[in-house]
Amino acid sequence: MIWVLIAIVVVVLAVLVIVLRRPRQEPGVASFRRHIDALSPEARREVMDRHRAQDDSNDGPNDGPNEGPGN
Amino acid sequence: MARDLAIDLGTANTLVYMKGRGIVLNEPSVIALNRQTGEVLATGREAWQMIGRTPGYIVAVRPLRGGAITDFEITERMIRLLLQRVGVSRFTRPKVVICVPSAITEVERRAVTDAARRAGAADAQLIEQPMAAAIGADLPIDEPVGNMVIDIGGGTSETAVISLGGVVALEAVRVGSFDIDAAIQAYVRREHGIAIGERTAEEVKMAIGSAAPTDDESQAEVRGRDLMTGLPKTVVLTPEEIRFAIEDVVSSIIASVVRCLAKAPPELAQDFLVRGMYLVGGGGLLRGLAPRIEKETQVPVKMSNVPLEAVVLGAGHCIEHYDALKNMFMGARRS
Repeated sequence: MIWVLIAIVVVVLAVLVIVLRRPRQEPGVASFRRHIDALSPEARREVMDRHRAQDDSNDGPNDGPNEGPGN
Repeated sequence: MARDLAIDLGTANTLVYMKGRGIVLNEPSVIALNRQTGEVLATGREAWQMIGRTPGYIVAVRPLRGGAITDFEITERMIRLLLQRVGVSRFTRPKVVICVPSAITEVERRAVTDAARRAGAADAQLIEQPMAAAIGADLPIDEPVGNMVIDIGGGTSETAVISLGGVVALEAVRVGSFDIDAAIQAYVRREHGIAIGERTAEEVKMAIGSAAPTDDESQAEVRGRDLMTGLPKTVVLTPEEIRFAIEDVVSSIIASVVRCLAKAPPELAQDFLVRGMYLVGGGGLLRGLAPRIEKETQVPVKMSNVPLEAVVLGAGHCIEHYDALKNMFMGARRS
């Protein structure tokens, strides 16, 4: 029984050491990275491709007037 | 389940982007009402066709001027009807991102978000038009380089320098292509003694209006009402006359671009010489405007591939990546 308890303690300690030694990222860094990644051309491709496809399939998304400079 | 929406609530046109589907609505920001009962008779294109041609009991109005709500109740009704047209009901309440001019006041911000919430949105967030335009124009704003975007709309003109996903410098004036139309109306009235409507002035601008001389210039015949006799009258306008008529408005837009350039940090300013500035918005389509800005600022000016849709596409991208980009919303940064 005692050996089982010792084994559990050792495993828990090992997990703690591994978790604590892992380099932690600042929350600000992670959030900024996510923000910048979401603005990358790759992230934006989906919206642009969808618009191009929409443009190709019909001249306009709706029947709104294309007023040119008045828009 | 409601699909979230991005709305470019422009002075001239309203565009709606639906998450996962793209642009689903593009209509003039006009509403026609029965003056006596207050009933809505038409919105969008149908109402736009009524401007200046209605009997006494109907009024066709643009509830936004200079990018701001001038009539809260009418704007709310217009937004509600537009949302209904894209499938929003009282049971499907989507999250909404709305593009607004950067110079909007706190009161105006609240008016827009309240109007959207009352019209059926579960949550309404605001994003500055130049930022949305830069995203929609596909500029590399994720990089540490200076990206300059000039957004000329119906009621506002905004110039912004953007780098690393944020606005570095910004300059906005409440002058836009409707002011160009108004300047043409005033000129024709003053110099030719005839009254022309808003839509005729816009047609003149599109036919022969320019900010600088161009190769393909021609004259335009304009019909209006003689102010002396009250009878219909036709006059011929030249491109030179129209350039003279709109000069003050064009100069004011260019002056704001120059002020924004002056505000930009020197490290970013050098990027503009290489990368140029990008023109978006319907007002940017005015003939000769890009070369004129280029001449006066000595910086190359390029037209966006999607000048009319750039703003709503940018906001649409924000709705597609809502959690990652929520720091960009106006409330998130100012509160």
